[in-house]
Amino acid sequence: MKGVMSDIREWVLETALVVRRQFRLVFTDPGVMIFFLLLPLAYPVVYALIYNPEVTRDMPVAVVDNCRSALSREFVRHADATEAISVCGYASSLEEARTWMADHRCYGILEIPADYSRHLGRGEQAVVKFYCDMGLLYRYRTFLSSLTELQMATCTDLRQVALNTLGMPDNGAPSSVEARSYFLGDTQQGFASFIIPGIVVLILQQSMLLGIAMLDGASNERRRRNRGYDPLLPDVSPSASCIGKALCYVAIYFPLTLYILHFIPEFFSFPHQGLPWDYLLFMFPMLLATAFLGISLQGLMRERESAFILIVFTSVVFLFLSGLTWPRYAMSDFYRWMGNVIPATWGVEGFVRINTNGGTLAQQSTPYLWLWGLSAFFFATAYLSTRARR
Amino acid sequence: MFRSVVAREIRILTSRPIYLVGLVVVPVLLAVFFVTLLGEGLPLKAPAGIVDLDNSPMSRQLVRNLDATELVSFHQRYGSFNEAMDGIQKGEIMGFFVIPDRFEREAVSGRGPTLTFYSNLTYYVPGSLVFKGFKTMAVTTSGKIVRTDLVGKGFSADLAEVALQPLVLDMHPVGNPWLNYAYYLGPSFIIGSIGLMAMLMTVFSLTQEIKRSTAPALYAAAGGKVWVAIVGKLFPQTVILFIVALFCHSLLFHWNHYPMNGNEWGMLLGLLLFVVACQSFGVFLCSVLPNPRLALSLASLTGILTFSIAAFSFPVEAMYGGIAIFSYILPVRYYFLIYIDQALNGIPLYFSRWWLVGLLCFPAVAAIAAPLCRRWMRHPVYVP
Repeated sequence: MKGVMSDIREWVLETALVVRRQFRLVFTDPGVMIFFLLLPLAYPVVYALIYNPEVTRDMPVAVVDNCRSALSREFVRHADATEAISVCGYASSLEEARTWMADHRCYGILEIPADYSRHLGRGEQAVVKFYCDMGLLYRYRTFLSSLTELQMATCTDLRQVALNTLGMPDNGAPSSVEARSYFLGDTQQGFASFIIPGIVVLILQQSMLLGIAMLDGASNERRRRNRGYDPLLPDVSPSASCIGKALCYVAIYFPLTLYILHFIPEFFSFPHQGLPWDYLLFMFPMLLATAFLGISLQGLMRERESAFILIVFTSVVFLFLSGLTWPRYAMSDFYRWMGNVIPATWGVEGFVRINTNGGTLAQQSTPYLWLWGLSAFFFATAYLSTRARR
Repeated sequence: MFRSVVAREIRILTSRPIYLVGLVVVPVLLAVFFVTLLGEGLPLKAPAGIVDLDNSPMSRQLVRNLDATELVSFHQRYGSFNEAMDGIQKGEIMGFFVIPDRFEREAVSGRGPTLTFYSNLTYYVPGSLVFKGFKTMAVTTSGKIVRTDLVGKGFSADLAEVALQPLVLDMHPVGNPWLNYAYYLGPSFIIGSIGLMAMLMTVFSLTQEIKRSTAPALYAAAGGKVWVAIVGKLFPQTVILFIVALFCHSLLFHWNHYPMNGNEWGMLLGLLLFVVACQSFGVFLCSVLPNPRLALSLASLTGILTFSIAAFSFPVEAMYGGIAIFSYILPVRYYFLIYIDQALNGIPLYFSRWWLVGLLCFPAVAAIAAPLCRRWMRHPVYVP
């Protein structure tokens, strides 16, 4: 019994030694400090500034009015008043308007046919055409929603006029079914409110991976100089080494996580519904899994600078695997599984639902269990890779 | 001189696997990754829920119609709003549609019931698609009921149709009538990744000369001419990167039939200039910041931010002016604009001339800054 106790004591002391050494290594290495501190501090702000305008308004549109009547001018005025459209000028023909569009002077062409007001006057259907520049899907979406609203409002007006001319009494207007629509989470349909909560979780993971990779590269450089032995790393059991390192990284990241997950949404007034306890507890296994994942990759970095070449590009891959830009249900099984083993995938899912949709930790049981599972799995791989390198 | 520098660089490139990985393996893998991931172009059949409080023939018909649209598929029926909300928060569904109690009765008797639908916009693309599917169905349902009502009041079917929708909006999404989302993500991210790796590898290989103190040897091989040293050193990488870029180009536009409506030669010219521009960006960084760590950090920073700031999804003109300007100091922005003009919109190359000029500015700026390299080429100092 006494032997076991002293073993445990020794192990704890070893772990504490690793933690101390790691702290010193991190805080004396300016390259690692860039990744561990500057990146998580600055990147969320930069991203928020990029997307902070949230929506796009008043995009220039050319009008080709072949009707030139009071009714058509009224329609153009209404179009100009919508959120998406700002009329940049009347073109004499569709050909001229196309030249404007090619010259990047407008993003859409509104064409009103010559028989527009005649059709309306006769109680027939009139057709208005809109040619949209498809340079960005986002512009099309904004145009479409504004124009659809305009069309529906105009239809209601015209219907009433038509019914009146047909001699129907006012109360004879047809009953219809009303449709009411609500957006959940990102209620203002803003771009920043959608993308930032997901991106910041990825920043946490990627900056930690980069920092760990750079530490590993530096350690490998020392080993080469010292015939396969790194003088700055204590010679301890692999489990103490893994856990000590992970504890150090998670401890450094804890204040940053609070800053990123709590203060960034507050600063920029992004959706911020969930309880801090829920998302901080949720994030803990993600940080742990990321730390172990980083430690598992040791030996891959021949030198400090390799981290840039081998880790930076994975951000793009992990961004897509997380389902933020491309929904995960539309991925093939292969990519869904690839996403499953990346901590940030579950981190993004759970955090977005807690933070933006106001979910609770209990509702995130699937991602939460996955994250603990990944922590265990990557601990095993980290242990094995540490043991192999002794 | 030039030849000896090139020969020296080829020896370096073949001496370590990281060059092969950075210049060829990573860009090719990323290209294959994006093309296969985005396969379908538009994510269809978003998981959605239904709360049918009416359970009448009419409401069931509505549910069947909704389920038949390509945009949504009903995974789940919920008994109440709260249950459906729980489903949203658990991530089971992207949105839900509520049919109120006594829907059929009120619709038929003309008391105007209200259909409500909720779309979860925390995931923008599926949220928007669910919204679109729901909205279309709500409008058509409303239309059908109005038409029945009007016909009942003695209108002819034609007149009822007109009264229902006196004004039709005819949308023409020019160049991408399928609303294919992959057309934006694919080329921009694949070519953007080549740009990222080109920048990183340029900075990496130049600063390796500092780190390993081999810069004086390079300087000597170039006969004491900085430009020969830099161009000679980067030329083999340009060739490799351009071949990789050509592979990605064919992968996109020929094997996967992404649209190519305009001048393909213009696009290839743009691609070549783009590769050179990214390398020039790297040269510029190494000239003003001859420190491996800082130069590589800056290259990664700009390389990763490129994907956001070059505005493949959120338009530049909506960004803050001070931010939007950065979009134009990144090469990939110009490539993306050329891609939109040429491949998607198919307009004459004349209208894309400024984007090509923009790409040419990068080598010009690098040429101005490059003489600064002389100092570290003669006396390299490595700061870890």
